[in-house]
Amino acid sequence: MVKAVFALLMVVSFMQAYELNAQMKDFMDSLLTEAKKQNPNLKAFDYARGEKIFTAEQMGKKGNKISCVTCHTADLAKKGLNENTNKVIEPLSPSANPKRFSDAKEVKKWLRRNFKDVYNREGSAQEQGDVVTYIINKK
Amino acid sequence: MKKLVIASLLIAGSLLAESGSSFENRKGVAPATDSLYLKECGSCHFAYQPGLLPSRSWVKTMEKLNDHFGTDASLEPEENKKILKYLVDNSAEKFTNYKRSKKINDSIGKNETPAAITKTGYFIKEHKGIKPKLIEQKEVKSLSNCMACHTKADKGSYSEREINIPNYGKWEDE
Repeated sequence: MVKAVFALLMVVSFMQAYELNAQMKDFMDSLLTEAKKQNPNLKAFDYARGEKIFTAEQMGKKGNKISCVTCHTADLAKKGLNENTNKVIEPLSPSANPKRFSDAKEVKKWLRRNFKDVYNREGSAQEQGDVVTYIINKK
Repeated sequence: MKKLVIASLLIAGSLLAESGSSFENRKGVAPATDSLYLKECGSCHFAYQPGLLPSRSWVKTMEKLNDHFGTDASLEPEENKKILKYLVDNSAEKFTNYKRSKKINDSIGKNETPAAITKTGYFIKEHKGIKPKLIEQKEVKSLSNCMACHTKADKGSYSEREINIPNYGKWEDE
């Protein structure tokens, strides 16, 4: 019984979404509104779609194969490395680095830049929301 | 009246002394101090001191941040403007009392607008003769990575005795 409760608690804690602050919630809400305009069937942002966006290799802006993992690594609680400049990138996961995903202006800036670098185009509202959902909730 | 003259002479003298001391000959380049610059530019790469390039180079750089050495480094117009002002206000030709700023500035032709510090004559001359494998190794990767070898580059100091090349050591001119 204790084991079952423990297992259940584990599952619940795993399922629990990362709690964003007010400005970030507003940002995600506005992304969702925008995404629903483009795709009326959309219900919510999706972790699995976000994971694919984050990990899939693309032909990037520089014309070589790249994914978000190239610089941020697959373990978002770890430090990454900017492959062009060798500069260390602080962990992306807000559970490892609470500064992350706390400032909507910063988040917008990096989504704009990094979609361009990896996908060589802007991310749609749905893509942006999906990838953020993945990053903030990945354990 | 006499007192007044003396007093004003003293003030003028101290003002001169002050401006003189801030423009005396110095080593290296003036350190980068602007917090917005350090945050926005320094988050992806070494925060190159503004005195490493002339203002016309900084203008060109900040005009095309959406394609900044192959990556998107775009900023909101407001931030771009503030950073550009900082770079231009502190560019190489304005701080020729700093040895490196002067040497870099003197090595650039009047009609030249180098797109990178690594493209200036002085930089090229100073980095000649370094074996490619020392530059290409993963600890360094490129000549743009100042801090990999210049241990006090972040202080604006590029003195030869402070060089420590990974897997090689101290640099001595042959």
